[in-house]
Amino acid sequence: MKSLIIGEVSNGTLSSGTLEIITKAQENNLDFKLVVIGTENNPKIGSDNFQVIYLELSPDELSLSSAADILVETIKTDSIELVLASSTYVGRDISGFLSVDLNSSPVANVINFEINGSILTTTNSIDGGESEYFTNVTSDVKILIIRPKSFEASDMTLSENYTTSSVEKNDLTVNVFDVFIEEKTGPQLEDSKIVISAGRGMVDVGNLKYIEDLAGKLNAAIGGTRAIVDAGWMPYSQQVGQTGKTVKPDVYIACGISGATQHQVGMKDSKYIIAINKDEEAPIFQIADLGIVGDTLNIIPKLIENL
Amino acid sequence: MKIAVCAKQIPDPAISVTYADGKIVRPDEQVLDDTDRYGIEVALQLKEKYDAEVTVISMGKLGTQKGIQQALQMGADKALVIEDPALENSNSLMTSNILSGMAKLAEADVVIFGTESSDGYSGVVPQQVSRYLGLPCISYVKGIDISEETELTRQTIAGSEKVIMPNKCVISVTASGVEPRYPNFKDIMAAKSKEVEIVELSSLEFTAEQNQEFVEIKSISSNKSGEKHIDEGDSFNLIIEKLKEIKAI
Repeated sequence: MKSLIIGEVSNGTLSSGTLEIITKAQENNLDFKLVVIGTENNPKIGSDNFQVIYLELSPDELSLSSAADILVETIKTDSIELVLASSTYVGRDISGFLSVDLNSSPVANVINFEINGSILTTTNSIDGGESEYFTNVTSDVKILIIRPKSFEASDMTLSENYTTSSVEKNDLTVNVFDVFIEEKTGPQLEDSKIVISAGRGMVDVGNLKYIEDLAGKLNAAIGGTRAIVDAGWMPYSQQVGQTGKTVKPDVYIACGISGATQHQVGMKDSKYIIAINKDEEAPIFQIADLGIVGDTLNIIPKLIENL
Repeated sequence: MKIAVCAKQIPDPAISVTYADGKIVRPDEQVLDDTDRYGIEVALQLKEKYDAEVTVISMGKLGTQKGIQQALQMGADKALVIEDPALENSNSLMTSNILSGMAKLAEADVVIFGTESSDGYSGVVPQQVSRYLGLPCISYVKGIDISEETELTRQTIAGSEKVIMPNKCVISVTASGVEPRYPNFKDIMAAKSKEVEIVELSSLEFTAEQNQEFVEIKSISSNKSGEKHIDEGDSFNLIIEKLKEIKAI
């Protein structure tokens, strides 16, 4: 199946989601080319094993819709049958734009896909990960938006071997007048070995200092549930779950989180799950390796003290 | 200025979703998707500034229309709704194709969405609608500042960025950007007399198609045989022991 992978740049190289998709494509012997979208100068995103094209966009414009114009051309000219994108801000924007021009609805939140001859079967996770939902995609061009961490990325040597293509902006471009780069201190959610997450059980935003102290002791990243993000206790970028990030750390410590299915989707594949919650019946205990029924606000300070 | 804001009726999120033949079973009484309250709030703030007309657009099983009423109670002026057997279990492209047509019927300059529905959560409908309508797309808006001009702050992977809202555009709003208002008794009563117009599918240009065939649902046993302890004041020791055992510390 002739394929196109939509890649993204992160810190001068390919994003982890892009590497995961490339690995999956290589394992399936797909005939693919990689088109990378980014705003960084001279990133190291090339390969000697497959064709790489870089669409370099200006950080001062919203011009993804112009990038989509180019991708539509490429897909038509190269008779591409399968388009693979990551479930990120950029990946979802681009896939949405492409799908209209190609009259092919994207399959979103895909966690796996299989190809048998001309049949492509996708897997989605439903019921908070307790069930898997399989469908065959029937359109000529198939667009899949893949959840990060669905595949293991293999080690890959990247080079300077790629071509940069200029993007002619269309009349849908919007100017950006201010760019704010969030200062990232400490381990990041997606690649930290330990993640500590907070939920409503922390009672008050002021109590998040315990989570911060514990994270400091364990060199862990901090996450939160949708409820506390909506309450404004944490930025959206730290939300773990269905509409937030997916994490798979070695250890996940859920503090005062009941474990709604929407949250479980984002963390249930963590290697070792510790849950602390007052409510003995909380669903989080069904997926926890170690469950402590008790008050998070009593237990965490003692834990910090004794580490 | 005319604004169309999308409101989806979804099964009560407190109750587990059930499936039949791979389709979500939708009860008669569905509620307004919480995600949409953020989009509606932004629409209402723009209404207050620009004296705009706000039309709710909604597609799917109408049932008791509770969710539509909830949107009108917040302060939208009227609603355009559509329900048709041909739209059952629509994919994102079919949905956005229909919603684009409804935005046109509402003569909308600005079309506003939440970032993704809580039941389907494909997260691509706003982008698709922008493409259908040929309008700029400002996705993942997490802040709005209405003064001389309207400034929108977008969430990005690296942080955020700001743009001036174009006169015509499609916006998606994240669930943390604004504080959705709660209707009071007067709002609730006023909503009852607001117009809810039912749109016929034949009046819209509809080209998108179904492109997924349901195969099966497999349940995967995920219940772990983990251990559970009641805290008696010393469970921090247990946690430390386990962290050592798995060599996390």
